[in-house]
Amino acid sequence: MGWRAAALLLPAFVGIVVFVIGPALVSVFVAGTDKALTGPRFHWVGTANARAAFDDPDLGDAVVHTLVYCLLTVIPAVVLGLALALAAERVTRGRSLVRLALFLPVSANIVAMAVVFAYIFDSSPDGLANTVVGLVGIAPVDWLGDTSTALPVVALVGGWRLTSLVFIVYLAGLTAIPRSVYEAADVDGIRGLARLRHITLPLLAPTSVFLGVFVTILTVQTFETVAVLTKGGPLNSSTTIIYYMYQVGFTGSFRIGYASMIALLLLAATVALGAGGAVLGRRLRRIRAAAA
Amino acid sequence: MSAGTDAARPDAARAPRGGAGTRRRHAARPERGPGAGRRRLPAPGTLARWALLAVGIAAALLPFVWMLRTALGPPQTALSLNSNPLPSEVHLDSFRRAWQDADLGSALVTGVGVSLAILALQLATAIPAAYAFACLRFRGRAAAFGMVLATLLVPSQITAVPNYVTISALGLADTRIGLVLPFMTQAGMIFMLRQYMTTIPASVLDAARIDGLGTWRTLRSIVVPLAAPAIATVSVFSFLLSYNEYLWPLLVARSPGIATPPLALARLLTDSSSIIPDFAELAAAALVISLPSLAVFVIAQRRLATGIAGTGAGA
Repeated sequence: MGWRAAALLLPAFVGIVVFVIGPALVSVFVAGTDKALTGPRFHWVGTANARAAFDDPDLGDAVVHTLVYCLLTVIPAVVLGLALALAAERVTRGRSLVRLALFLPVSANIVAMAVVFAYIFDSSPDGLANTVVGLVGIAPVDWLGDTSTALPVVALVGGWRLTSLVFIVYLAGLTAIPRSVYEAADVDGIRGLARLRHITLPLLAPTSVFLGVFVTILTVQTFETVAVLTKGGPLNSSTTIIYYMYQVGFTGSFRIGYASMIALLLLAATVALGAGGAVLGRRLRRIRAAAA
Repeated sequence: MSAGTDAARPDAARAPRGGAGTRRRHAARPERGPGAGRRRLPAPGTLARWALLAVGIAAALLPFVWMLRTALGPPQTALSLNSNPLPSEVHLDSFRRAWQDADLGSALVTGVGVSLAILALQLATAIPAAYAFACLRFRGRAAAFGMVLATLLVPSQITAVPNYVTISALGLADTRIGLVLPFMTQAGMIFMLRQYMTTIPASVLDAARIDGLGTWRTLRSIVVPLAAPAIATVSVFSFLLSYNEYLWPLLVARSPGIATPPLALARLLTDSSSIIPDFAELAAAALVISLPSLAVFVIAQRRLATGIAGTGAGA
């Protein structure tokens, strides 16, 4: 049986080893060198890149921007996505149309949407966003050209899309809750907000933990919205970690070694986050088991 | 989805019944009179629900409506809420200019072609692997499967740099093959297909063996037809992901001839940002490049909603 399994697995493992595991290991090595994208010569520099990363004020800014971006996207997206899923789950007439509309943002091409949002947040007084704020008497804002609004606007675009993803996952989680649970609650007189708080949300807790981790990891790796909307500007006010990594490794002096170190540090943080989520998920289940 | 929720279901369902539930019995229905029917939903709740949905749907659709509105409007004119929300006359001019300036025809062919090639490779590598993990017993199965799962943790940004070096060394930078090759295996697809294939009853596989079907015949004529719904679901996901991919084409496709649709659009935006951007042209280009993924999505929408719950991607 062994050789048959090996033959079946071989094509997949060629792809995984050559394009995922191998490169990941190479990245670990390159992160310890001063390799540039152009030119074959490079030297082992040990932990110099790591030390440089901790002393790099631009990277520090990028980390802060990424955290702000996460805060502005993840929390509203999870709350809104959950609320919409709860509301949409009980829709009977027009069910598929409601779902189709709310699924659209996540399936849309993010670059195309970023272009449309760039237009909505155009600096001219006739732009859609400026027209809306003009209704309450606010002077036109240069949304993407102002250091104080650029990052929040980019986060809004990311959050718009993320809400749709959260909605899909919560909707799948809600449909997995059997009707009989609700019927039992109804017999006990548990309805409305009490039912939401004591039955639906606890049953969704594993989904919530998974979503929190998954969505945060996705958001930390934000690249497209920044690349299209602001290119990290103005004055680097919206540079996120991955966009900074791209700037370091693939523009300017093409410092691949340093870029790899940034990616590696980000991976370490991501794995820590995932492990934290796994621990939290297990503890949640244990607490609930103990309570029962 | 199912694994996590299933594990938590029994205890969580029990807790409120004995504990908080009884305490809350009266507090739970503050606004309804004692005569209100148990099955009838409270009107304020229903209203709030529909209001929330209406706002959510409006927010979800607004950029699409605005894209369409702008693309059909007159060129180089800023539009605002003050102007008529319906264009007085339809201009198709922007589409013609976008098609020429961004070379959208070539971009669409490249984008769809590359995405389909990636899909074919991913299915060709994932289906046999998923079958081996789900239906065969062999030494090292757990370790090999663990290795597949571990690759899900590696972000594409980590592998982008070394992959670029590999692809360049093979002389494939700036080629369509270079756009396809790094995505030849998708660990997530192996995982989802394997989850689905484990639900195939052992008796079916036993019957196939007794009938003298070998490993390959079983895979081809039993497992693949049975797993068709899951294969369709992962195919849609794969197509959407590949078609919308931005970072890798940005690194590899340097010459305009092989730009993928997102890349062509981003370049159109960059080229136009020095002068006053022609948003009608940009919106038209955005609309055109969105069409393939939207079409695939609308066609497959029903399947996706159920497919996510079925393949275990949820949790």
